[in-house]
Amino acid sequence: MTKYAFFLGCIAPLRYPGLEAATKRVMQHFNIELLDLNGASCCPAPGVFGSFDLWNWLVVAARNLSLGESLNADLTTICNGCYATLQEAWHILKEDPSKRRRVNEVLSKINRNYNAKTGIKHIIEVFANDIGIDKIKSSVEKSLEGLKVAVHYGCHFLKPRKIRGHGSSEKPHILEDIVTALGAEPVHYKEKLLCCGAGGGVRAGNLDAALEITARKLASVKEAGADCILNPCSFCHFQFDRGQVELRERKGIEFNIPVIHLVQLVGLAMGIDPKSLGLYENEIPPTYLDKLGLR
Amino acid sequence: MEKPRVGVFICECGGNISDVVDVKKVVKTASEWENVLVARHYTYMCSKPGVELIKQSIKKRELNRIVIACCTPKMHRKMFERNVGEEGINPAFLEIVNVREQCSWVHHGDNEGATQKAIDLIRGAVKKVENAVPLHPGKMPVKPAVLVIGGGIAGITAALRVAEAGIKVYLVEKEPTIGGHMAKYAKVFPTLDCAQCILTPKMGDVAENPNIELFTLAEVKAVEGVPGDFKVKIKLKPRGVDVEKCVGCGACNRVCPVETVSDFDEGLGKRKAIYIPFPQAVPSAYVIDFDSCTKCGKCAEKCPRKAINLEDTEKEIEINVGAIIVATGFKLFDLSDYGEYKYGMHPNVITALQMERLMNVAGPTSGAIVRPSDGGEVKKIGYILCAGSRDTNKGKPYCSRVCCLYATKQALMMREFMEGLDIWIHYIDLRAAGRRYEEFYKNAQIEGVKYVRGKVSEIIPDGDQLIVRAEDTMLGRPIENKYDLVVLCPPIVPSPDITKLAEILKIPLDEDGFVLEKHPKLDPVATKREGIFACGVITGPKDIQTSVSEAEGAAAKAINFLIQKEKIIEPNKAYLAVPEKCDACGECIEVCPTEAISIASEKVEINEILCNGCGACIPACPKEALDLKGLSEKQLMAEIEGILTGSESEIKILAFVENEIAYTALDLTGVARLSYPSSIRVIPVPSTSRLKLKHILYAFAKGADGIMFLEAPEHEGPFGKAHAIAEERIENYKFDIEDYDVDSIRLWFSKVYVPDWRKLVKVFETFDRMIKDEGPIEQEVRENILKQLSQETDT
Amino acid sequence: MDSTKPLIKIDEETSDFIAEILEKGAQIFPKEELERILTCIQCGTCYGSCPSGRITAYHVRVIMRKAQLGLKEEVLKDENLWNCTTCYTCQERCPREVETTDTIRLIRNMAFEAGYVKKPHLIVSRNFIETGHSIPLRDEDKEKRKRVGVSEIPPTTLTYPEALKEVQTLVEATGFKEKVLKLLEEG
Ligand SMILES: Cc1cc2nc3c(=O)[nH]c(=O)nc-3n(C[C@H](O)[C@H](O)[C@H](O)COP(=O)(O)OP(=O)(O)OC[C@H]3O[C@@H](n4cnc5c(N)ncnc54)[C@H](O)[C@@H]3O)c2cc1C
Ligand code: SF4
Ligand code: SF4
Ligand code: SF4
Ligand code: SF4
Ligand code: SF4
Ligand code: SF4
Repeated sequence: MTKYAFFLGCIAPLRYPGLEAATKRVMQHFNIELLDLNGASCCPAPGVFGSFDLWNWLVVAARNLSLGESLNADLTTICNGCYATLQEAWHILKEDPSKRRRVNEVLSKINRNYNAKTGIKHIIEVFANDIGIDKIKSSVEKSLEGLKVAVHYGCHFLKPRKIRGHGSSEKPHILEDIVTALGAEPVHYKEKLLCCGAGGGVRAGNLDAALEITARKLASVKEAGADCILNPCSFCHFQFDRGQVELRERKGIEFNIPVIHLVQLVGLAMGIDPKSLGLYENEIPPTYLDKLGLR
Repeated sequence: MEKPRVGVFICECGGNISDVVDVKKVVKTASEWENVLVARHYTYMCSKPGVELIKQSIKKRELNRIVIACCTPKMHRKMFERNVGEEGINPAFLEIVNVREQCSWVHHGDNEGATQKAIDLIRGAVKKVENAVPLHPGKMPVKPAVLVIGGGIAGITAALRVAEAGIKVYLVEKEPTIGGHMAKYAKVFPTLDCAQCILTPKMGDVAENPNIELFTLAEVKAVEGVPGDFKVKIKLKPRGVDVEKCVGCGACNRVCPVETVSDFDEGLGKRKAIYIPFPQAVPSAYVIDFDSCTKCGKCAEKCPRKAINLEDTEKEIEINVGAIIVATGFKLFDLSDYGEYKYGMHPNVITALQMERLMNVAGPTSGAIVRPSDGGEVKKIGYILCAGSRDTNKGKPYCSRVCCLYATKQALMMREFMEGLDIWIHYIDLRAAGRRYEEFYKNAQIEGVKYVRGKVSEIIPDGDQLIVRAEDTMLGRPIENKYDLVVLCPPIVPSPDITKLAEILKIPLDEDGFVLEKHPKLDPVATKREGIFACGVITGPKDIQTSVSEAEGAAAKAINFLIQKEKIIEPNKAYLAVPEKCDACGECIEVCPTEAISIASEKVEINEILCNGCGACIPACPKEALDLKGLSEKQLMAEIEGILTGSESEIKILAFVENEIAYTALDLTGVARLSYPSSIRVIPVPSTSRLKLKHILYAFAKGADGIMFLEAPEHEGPFGKAHAIAEERIENYKFDIEDYDVDSIRLWFSKVYVPDWRKLVKVFETFDRMIKDEGPIEQEVRENILKQLSQETDT
Repeated sequence: MDSTKPLIKIDEETSDFIAEILEKGAQIFPKEELERILTCIQCGTCYGSCPSGRITAYHVRVIMRKAQLGLKEEVLKDENLWNCTTCYTCQERCPREVETTDTIRLIRNMAFEAGYVKKPHLIVSRNFIETGHSIPLRDEDKEKRKRVGVSEIPPTTLTYPEALKEVQTLVEATGFKEKVLKLLEEG
């Protein structure tokens, strides 16, 4: 059985535990074993802690990676931010033994060591490579036919492509492939590749700017007539969902676009109960469930 | 062989040499050597009396070997050769010792060292020349015909020029017509002449010229033979229409039921399966596209001339030429990987070539500029310059050189004939460096074409329209601009066939796939292979004017090459010296950069025309069966011994120097009067790949304390991969010499470019210091090597 | 060093900023990649792509230029530096492969060290040092966790104090903790 250590990060467990729950249920459904990564910390966030002190960022990331290595398992994550940090740190430490040596000097203070033997896979990779589009398609219990989905990739799953290695960051299609396999319809919208606005510490440091980007994105989703916005990242999820409340409160802009994470969408199609996927834990109610006859 | 009677002549060079080198001492020492009958010094050896002195000495003392110590052989060797030749001395019996650039000019202040070095070098030359054998150049007839590959403007021009000189030309074009890209354009910058009006007369000339034989739908399959005498196989695809019979009435075309995408119209229009690319095509005949033809037979039925043969088949012909001109042009880089430009994702994003067809009255829309998506009106057009050029990220690193100008051309033309059309050109740098180009640009500005500085970041489709996002870097502000049509200007890349063609022709390409020039500055239309020339865009992006100039140049070079009727074959080539030793193992074949070696009746055979005398094969032979004329094993060993034995220098360093690039750099160090240690003694070699481990060990045994190898870089030197092989070999020798108790640091390899001449001083100083620190090699070690070497030759 | 004052006296007001960035960056990134900043041609592809540049005074191309010129102070103290969302769109498209986003991260490291830092960022940092997470676990979150059927407290540093200790040892060893505490004290 394929197994992964589930790296939680911060946003999913502390703000949107529904995503954590959905991941566990969906992975169980596909017979993928998820180990608890006991004692993990913040990844640490790439644009925040990476902006403050890259050396510290690298060392703490290496500790999280080393936890997986002692379980002899790759990590998996449902957050682009965690993925960004841990995949980049893995890459750096795999490519450059001298940096690995220096990092391990610090890790030795806590009796840990990281050899870059195990790394991290994004949950999208688990869906695409371990499970496979065909398997997803053939496992659909509740077709999502009629559901118009605006796909959001987020930035850090694809970029920088030379490190991530998932091909073009301008013409990605894996999420559309999954959406289509589930019976739903990916809708084209102009700002598909636009950032959610939250990254790089902008959400914490300049909420207004972050929200302006989010609003631009959501307006484009609205214009395309999508039923929901799909994301593969807890932080984007947070920004789109919580952000709509903030946009309403601070700027009086109302969107009411339901936000759904990839694991949740897959879970729905697998026939898993919407409640236990955490769909009702969002700020914006999941109105698309009516359309699907699932309310 | 007769006993050597050597004359040694040292030039004072009016003090240039004698101020540093004690020429009297040199003469005195040399005159004491065995076989030296004359030793003289003179103010100017190259002057008339100097030359006369040598000639008289030859006569009087019946000299048969001459050593002249003077300036670099690059200076006067040819002149001395001619003069001693008049006295019956074979060029192989003349040695020039460079005591100016390599002694007096670089060891000023070290007169004693310079003098000692001069004596050593002259001794080496005497030994070498004593062991020489006379050499005689060969001759071969040259086939007076030229193959031109590619019938674009460059190929057409070259073909016409060669034909005008009365030389037979075969022009091979892979398309059904000649004309190349230029035939697709309405007008050309910077004069806005009508492209057809200036091109079609030339195409007609090709058809008319009795010296030109044109093959269309043709492809070069194989090239054998040697420069001056190439045998070329050409594959002819079936045309389905007899060119001689077809009168171009078009009856066939009207009845053909098959419609397909027109490649001549860059995919924007449709054509029938039987078609003519454009009315002025040459040959002026229809052609069947057999990939889409259903062989319904309707056309053949209608043809009044019975010109159509639906069962036409592929043919192969062979021709014989002396020279080849490559002019296969370009294609545009495929931008499908640039998702941000939406090429191939939105019909209203097109390439500049598509635009040329769209705005051409002979094009798919008869010159109407309409939206490909819906045929709708176009009010505003955006040009994206550098769409992939100057981009190491996803495109090509170089500037494509013509896009700034053709975009300006297209914009200007459209502004002229379409009232109110709004045209924006997004650029990084507007490159208009050519005669009349800046003026052309200014003219477009006056005509109202708008230029925005800032490379386009992305294009967002908005229905039938396109939003372009970019920065206006002049203002430092982001802009969004909505267009009906976006025109991309992609990189110009070499015609893709060139990869295979280059293999067939054995010519190297550069890192971007363009044909590598023999010399990028001084020999730009010759390839690295003799007798093969190139012109037009296949050697790099350029405009029509430059393509034509190059074509004229390539034609002149080809004519020059053929005009000699007989080609001199230089004698200094590799040969199978001990045939009974060769067991056809083929090791030598592997290393030869010119593929001169083949196996015939279980022995290797070296083609003396193909061989360029690099010497790389000689150390490759495990049986020591090969040798090199002009620098034989015997001569090389004698020279090494001559330089080292009897030298009074404290530390002795030999430097084997590649004779063209590295040697020139060394001369420049002298010309600049830089100074380096006099311990360095140079032995020129065609390439240091000529050297065996044996030579190196022998040098150490005979007194060398360190050995340097200065080699030309692979792409700069005359011998291609031999230069790279040299480096590999020397690196291996470093390991090998440790087995003989010689530290590997006593070998030094450097790749030398001509502009590196300044750096050579550092290199010499460093190595000299290293060897001084190491100290001389112990006598015991030397004797031991000698013992082992003689054992090895015994067995 | 006032950015509203147009004149730049090159000899007096600039320093080899790029050398500093490269030196600092080489700890983390391959130097030959960072060095491409020297080849920036100011084409504007980066800024034209930038979601923040469209709505704030943050200007990535100009920062690359100022770095080339050596206007270090001006870059570090400009608050707009913190508006980059690190979306990497610019870096992906740069025709000279300048590592724009990573360079911005490095410059921010230098700004952080020099004390040009935003209060909320210090709070996130303090939270991390104290709990191992960048945000706190509130009661309402625990309720949510129970509702969706996962453990009330996640199995992270929040459950394992010895794990938290490890993280704290690391942030101390890297000097991060000291930096943050000092900045917090200075207010
Ligand atoms: C959109 C655009 C507009 C331009 N406008 C202008 C302009 O206005 N003014 C100007 O000066 N320049 C212009 N140029 C540049 C101009 O097109 C070139 O300088 C010129 O075409 C070069 O001619 P060529 O013969 O080298 O190559 P090409 O025109 O490409 O001709 C090469 C020929 O070789 C043939 N060929 C290729 N491979 C083989 C093979 N293996 N065997 C046999 N034949 C082969 C091809 O079919 C073709 O006929 C423009 C370029 C572009 C892209
Ligand atoms: S009908 Fe015959 S003669 Fe007329 S164009 Fe066609 S092939 Fe040529
Ligand atoms: S035989 Fe071929 S070319 Fe001729 S009419 Fe039929 S489809 Fe057209
Ligand atoms: S010619 Fe102009 S558009 Fe073309 S690559 Fe060069 S600078 Fe860019
Ligand atoms: S390796 Fe050099 S010397 Fe030997 S045959 Fe080839 S070209 Fe001639
Ligand atoms: S895209 Fe790259 S080259 Fe262009 S301005 Fe930005 S950093 Fe410089
Ligand atoms: S990474 Fe930063 S600078 Fe670059 S485009 Fe995104 S927000 Fe702008």
